[in-house]
Amino acid sequence: MNTRPALGEREQEAVRSVLEGLERDVEVKLELGPTATPVTLLAAGGREIDSIGLTRDLVEAVCALSQRVSLTVVEHDEPGPWPRTTIGGGLEYLGMPAGYELTTLVHGIVEAGRTEPSVTEATLARLEALENDVTIDVYVTPT
Amino acid sequence: MLLAYRLALASPRVTARGIEASEFAVDADRHGVQAVPAIVVDDRYAWAGAVPEAAFVDRVLAAAAS
Repeated sequence: MNTRPALGEREQEAVRSVLEGLERDVEVKLELGPTATPVTLLAAGGREIDSIGLTRDLVEAVCALSQRVSLTVVEHDEPGPWPRTTIGGGLEYLGMPAGYELTTLVHGIVEAGRTEPSVTEATLARLEALENDVTIDVYVTPT
Repeated sequence: MLLAYRLALASPRVTARGIEASEFAVDADRHGVQAVPAIVVDDRYAWAGAVPEAAFVDRVLAAAAS
């Protein structure tokens, strides 16, 4: 059993510092349950990774570092796209936010915690001209 | 990933989702993902690799219109 904290002291300090920039409260929802297409993830050395447990530990650890961030955990019985983290009602991340993707979780919270969009005026103008909905999926890996 | 999130926050018409490719390998394979970051727009593979904001918007809008 792995009893190490999800975030080390230096990581906690760095994340806490970033989250101090939040301009408003951010709600985070973590959904857990059996995955529809199970895979086995192995760490260096062949140890199997408990992605559900690690995801829960990481998300809870990050959300605990700011009073502006609240976390709701939902456990599903039915298979689905879990673990799914929803930030601020609209930003989703499917999978374990470990490694480089810890940054995605933390900065996703920061983006959702802004009171003004953080894109250029040119981008805003182009988005305002959109007539149809657009879904962007970004495939990433923790390494 | 953050650019996609920023666009979603800037427009109610945009939805953004990050997907860990190893855990969702079936979906990644279905879209032909071979390198990351890989961007899929409206369920169709668009491109792989990081690009600046203006180019990201160009490519997303072009992919959505195709």
